Amino acid sequence: MNSQSGRDGPLLSIEGLHFAFRSAGTASPSSLALIDNLQLSVFRGEIVCILGASGCGKTTLLNLIAGLLKPEAGKIEILNSRAAAVRQPIGYIFQNDALLPWRTIEGNLRLADDIGGNSSKEGTQERIAAYLKTFHLDRQILKQYPSQLSGGMRQRASIIQALMFDPDLLLLDEPFSALDYYTKLRLEGEFHQLVKGENKGAILVTHDIEEAVAMGDRLVIMDAGRLGNELSICKSDDRCQPENARGMPEFAEHYRQVWSQLKSVIEGARC
Amino acid sequence: MLIFRPAISRLLQWSLYLLPLLAMIAAWYFYTAADPQRQFIFSSPEKVYLALVRLISSGELFHNSCVTVMEAVIGFVIGTTCGAMFGLSLWYSRLIARIARPYITALATVPVFALAPILISWFGIGILSKIMLAFLSTVAVAIVQSYQGAMSVEPRFLRLMLVVGASRWKTFTLVVVPSSLIWVINAMKLNIGLALLGAFIGEFISAEEGLGYMIVKASGLYDMATVFCGVIALILIALALTAAIEQVEHRLLKWKSS
Repeated sequence: MNSQSGRDGPLLSIEGLHFAFRSAGTASPSSLALIDNLQLSVFRGEIVCILGASGCGKTTLLNLIAGLLKPEAGKIEILNSRAAAVRQPIGYIFQNDALLPWRTIEGNLRLADDIGGNSSKEGTQERIAAYLKTFHLDRQILKQYPSQLSGGMRQRASIIQALMFDPDLLLLDEPFSALDYYTKLRLEGEFHQLVKGENKGAILVTHDIEEAVAMGDRLVIMDAGRLGNELSICKSDDRCQPENARGMPEFAEHYRQVWSQLKSVIEGARC
Repeated sequence: MLIFRPAISRLLQWSLYLLPLLAMIAAWYFYTAADPQRQFIFSSPEKVYLALVRLISSGELFHNSCVTVMEAVIGFVIGTTCGAMFGLSLWYSRLIARIARPYITALATVPVFALAPILISWFGIGILSKIMLAFLSTVAVAIVQSYQGAMSVEPRFLRLMLVVGASRWKTFTLVVVPSSLIWVINAMKLNIGLALLGAFIGEFISAEEGLGYMIVKASGLYDMATVFCGVIALILIALALTAAIEQVEHRLLKWKSS
C-alpha cells in the first residue's frame, strides 16, 4: 500500500476513522460525515502531506489525531498506544503561532517545563540552544516578547515551543502559509532537516501543491472526509532539501500529477 | 539648541494641560470678585486658597484625606482581589457561573447609597462600615470583568494546552489568569473611583472623620471654601490613585507596551 511497509511499525496508525459534527440540541451525529472511514499511517522520518479543498476535513483530521475532537468510530494509535488512553506527546503547529504573548520567547520555550511534560529539565537550556541553531535564530530573541518578532521568527519559535515537549509526531496545519516566499522556503528546509535528523513523523496539511511536492515523502488528496490515492515521491540524495527538490526534473511531473488529481476532485465537488 | 527641544516641548504640553484650569479659575475669580453674595454661594479662588492654607496648617485636611484614602484603598484591595479571584475561578464551572449570575447582577445594580444605612447600622459609624461600602462598590465590577476576561481567552491558547496535555489547573494558572490580567486591570481602573465613592458616601451619611464628613460639616455651616478644599483633595486623591494603578498596569502588562 505504501512505500514504508518494510520499516518498523508506524508511528501513527489510523483505521476506519469516522467523525461527524453533532447538530445543536441533538444527541445523534449529523448525517453528513466530515471524516468517513479514513485509513492512514505515518512512519518515523516521514512527512505526509495532505492536500484538499477548503472544508474537506483536513483540519478536522488533525484535531482528531491531536485529541481535540472525539471520533464517532475508528482507531487512532500513536506509537501503538490508543491516543485517548495514553497520551503520547504530539506537536501541533497552527497557521497562526500559539506563543503566549505575555511570556518572553524563553518563557514560551520553557512552557514544557512549567506544564511538567518535559522529563529532562536540566537539558532544557541545551535543547533550546540547539533548536535555536537549527532554526537560525539568535539567542537575543529569548528575552523578547512575541510581538517584538517578525512573522517568520514567531513561527520558528512556535515550532521550537512544540518541539520542547519532545513529540514524536508533528501535526502542521498550514504553518507556512502566512509567511513571505523566501522565509517560507527557508523554514521548509529547516523543518525538513529536523524531521529527518530527529527521525520524527509529520503530517503537513497545506493548500500549496509546490510546498507539498517539495516537502512530502507521500502526498494524499483529501476529498469529502476520505483520503484519495497516495503519491509517493521517490527519494534521492539530491532532493533531501525542499529548495533542491524544486530544481529536480521530476518536480514538475509530480506537481502536474497532483494538480490533475486535485483539479478533478475540485471539479467533482462543483458538479 | 537641540538639547532644549524636549524640555520646551514638555513645558508647552504642561501649559496646554493647565490652560483650561487657569481659564476656569480666572472666570470664577471675575464672576465672584467684589460681590459678597456671590462669594457666599460660590466662594472665590482667594477664599479657597486661604481655607487650604488653614486646613493644611492645622493638619485637618491631611488627617481627613488619610482616613478617606485608607477606607477606599482597603475596600478597593479587598473588593478587587476577592472579586477577581471569584470571577476567574468561575471559569472552572459554567454551572456555578450560571447560578452566580443573578446574584452578581443584583450586587452590581443595587446603588451603594441604598446599602449605606444598612451597613452603618451593622458595622457602626467608624471606618469599618466605609470599608465595607468601598468593598461592595468594587467587588461586583471585579467579578464581572475578570469572569469576562477568563471567558475571552483566545481559543488557540486553550487548544495548545489541550494538545500538550496540560491539566485544568495548569491551563488556569498559565493561560487563563495571565490572559485575563488586562480585564482585571480595567476593573482596577474602574474600581478606584468606585471605592472612593463608596467610602465618601459612608462618610457623607454618618461619620466622625474623613473628607465626606468634612464636606458635610462645612456645607452645613455654608463654608463653601472648605467644601471646595474637600473636593480638591478628593480630585487629587483620585488622580494619585489612578496614577498608581497605571504604574501597576505598566508593570503587569509589560509585554503589551513592548
